[in-house]
Amino acid sequence: MSGPECEERRDLPYRDTKPVGAADFYFAINATFRFILERLGMEGLRRHWTDLGQNYFQPVGENWRRQGLPGVTAYWRAFFAAEPGAEVKIREDEDQVVVEVKVCPAIKHLREAGREIVPCFCQHCFHQGEAMAARAGMAYRLHGGNGACHHVIYRNRDGIPPQNLAEIKEAS
Amino acid sequence: MIGVYDFCGHYEWTFAWLEREGGETLVREYWDKAIHQDAQQHATRLIMGKGFAGMREYWGHTLAEEEAGYAVSEKDGVLRIDMHECPSKGFLLHNGLHQYPDYCDHCMGWIGPLLKRAGYVVDHQHNHKGRCWWEMRKDDSVEEPSVPGKLAGDSDVRLTEDWDPRDPAMDTYRGSNHPDDKETGAP
Repeated sequence: MSGPECEERRDLPYRDTKPVGAADFYFAINATFRFILERLGMEGLRRHWTDLGQNYFQPVGENWRRQGLPGVTAYWRAFFAAEPGAEVKIREDEDQVVVEVKVCPAIKHLREAGREIVPCFCQHCFHQGEAMAARAGMAYRLHGGNGACHHVIYRNRDGIPPQNLAEIKEAS
Repeated sequence: MIGVYDFCGHYEWTFAWLEREGGETLVREYWDKAIHQDAQQHATRLIMGKGFAGMREYWGHTLAEEEAGYAVSEKDGVLRIDMHECPSKGFLLHNGLHQYPDYCDHCMGWIGPLLKRAGYVVDHQHNHKGRCWWEMRKDDSVEEPSVPGKLAGDSDVRLTEDWDPRDPAMDTYRGSNHPDDKETGAP
């Protein structure tokens, strides 16, 4: 791998030798959510997502704390470049980064394969993202879902209302 | 968002998370229910429906998609896979990720029960360095695992320089369908 694609992957905490992930792994992500929901309930599933954001993704939160919003922009740009089928527009302003997901690669692939999607699938983006953002003193809010959504990452948590989970659409 | 680019990283992390929540019983249930019966339902359909041809079709697609270094050999009554560069374990080694005691067990954790439903058993070894081999036979077969090179020729992973059959960390399965059937150490 060389050129701009390689440069982008440097903004990811864990790197692979191939440029883009294997789409069928979305089946396992969806199945993992369903399994935890059935065995440990919604509280357990939210805890899983938050723990992922705090622990496995700790390097991301640390980078955001050190680099500020440019680090947020760089991460999401690199992240979606490595997800098969994603269509995303990212805008960085003085106080926030807006990630406009026009085509969610996970929902797209699961739908195309005829898989039953866990209705609360899209909530993971908020809980994982908020855990990463909190480590950096930022706030993470999510609007939409079910194939297209907006992620807003605020530079400061002060004055940002709590996430309204009802604003996150159920997936189908 | 949780993505597929680093899937093997958060997948392995999740094993350790589930182990803390519900012990090894929950981890094994996860491999069977979530991975075998849910995520890999396409593999189940192929292998239940087509046997060895379905195995070739499934692993041909998925290992190509994951850009694995592997070889598949088939002779009368046995299908063999030699994994020279496991993309999954390789990702963990490359990134220094190690949360769960034996990541490699997950393969037998979902493939074993699937093949049991389809009427097959597995002989298998993995060395925890991204190399392993598998031989699948019908569950009424009396054949022993092949000797190195007999089925796969030069592609047999056991013939590579860094494959050490006396490695105390080597895990071995014989005629198995369950992740806990393994013997650790030189067979």
